[in-house]
Amino acid sequence: MKLFRIGFPPALITALRLLLGALFMMSGGEKLLDLKYFALVIAEYQILPSLLIPAVALFVSLCELLCGTMLLLDLFSRISSSIMLCMMAIFIASITNNLMRGLEHDCGCMEFLSQWYGLKEEIGIGPIVRDILFVILLLPVALLGSNRIPWKKNPT
Amino acid sequence: MPCIVSGKPLRRILVALVLLLSCFSPAASQLHAAPSVTLVKEESGEIDLSAAKALFDRHSACFVDARSEYAYYNSHIKGAWSLSESRFAEQFPEFRNKKPIETLIVVYCIGPGCSKARHVADKLKKNGYRNVRVFSGGLIEWSHAGFPIEG
Repeated sequence: MKLFRIGFPPALITALRLLLGALFMMSGGEKLLDLKYFALVIAEYQILPSLLIPAVALFVSLCELLCGTMLLLDLFSRISSSIMLCMMAIFIASITNNLMRGLEHDCGCMEFLSQWYGLKEEIGIGPIVRDILFVILLLPVALLGSNRIPWKKNPT
Repeated sequence: MPCIVSGKPLRRILVALVLLLSCFSPAASQLHAAPSVTLVKEESGEIDLSAAKALFDRHSACFVDARSEYAYYNSHIKGAWSLSESRFAEQFPEFRNKKPIETLIVVYCIGPGCSKARHVADKLKKNGYRNVRVFSGGLIEWSHAGFPIEG
């Protein structure tokens, strides 16, 4: 762990935390702004029962927004990044599952990125590789980031 | 023309007849070619842009969008229903309750290369709807023509 810590100096952890926090906050905010669209994309995955889809859409959007905000503010960074790690694992599994079933539909991942780059964000190898990259970037924050609790004083 | 020079009137008449017949044959004549294409299209239940627009203007058909629900949510032909190929089973019961079996239905998807409209049309026919047409031009042709869309 000590060697791992040397490889990831605090400045790098902070940079990763800020980058990932901003990305997840934007992604969650965008989904919350058009929750119906996101729910329809989740429906297209054909994994969840129809009744659960609106609740899951709200939960995922809120999770991304809250975890992103907490990463940016460095509040419970380790917990936030761990939650995002779990979500990334679920996203990778869902996309892989649908690719194996031969389905073609929007990814519903980071629409704003695809709008900036003019790419149509469909499920495929691209989103899987990107989510794996997020996992790699989230791991150091989950392992070495701070777990500061704002209302508790740090022991000096 | 060797036949004219040689003065063989029978051969000349035969050549003239063949040329005349070829002008009026369905394979060579444009006058005959157009109706045969239309006939093939009608038999397969396909309609073109002008026919779709005529049905739209008369409010005599129910338009059905065969694309995914999120694509329908973004934009669709004004007043169209969503019956996506992927979630047909979930969406169909509500459609069945609202639209009688004799309703004329026009199914479309994104454009000519898209097979979803044909698949949804087949599913509708299997569920008892006999009056089903496919607008093969799809949303691309419709929106390029400047016809009403919403979403």
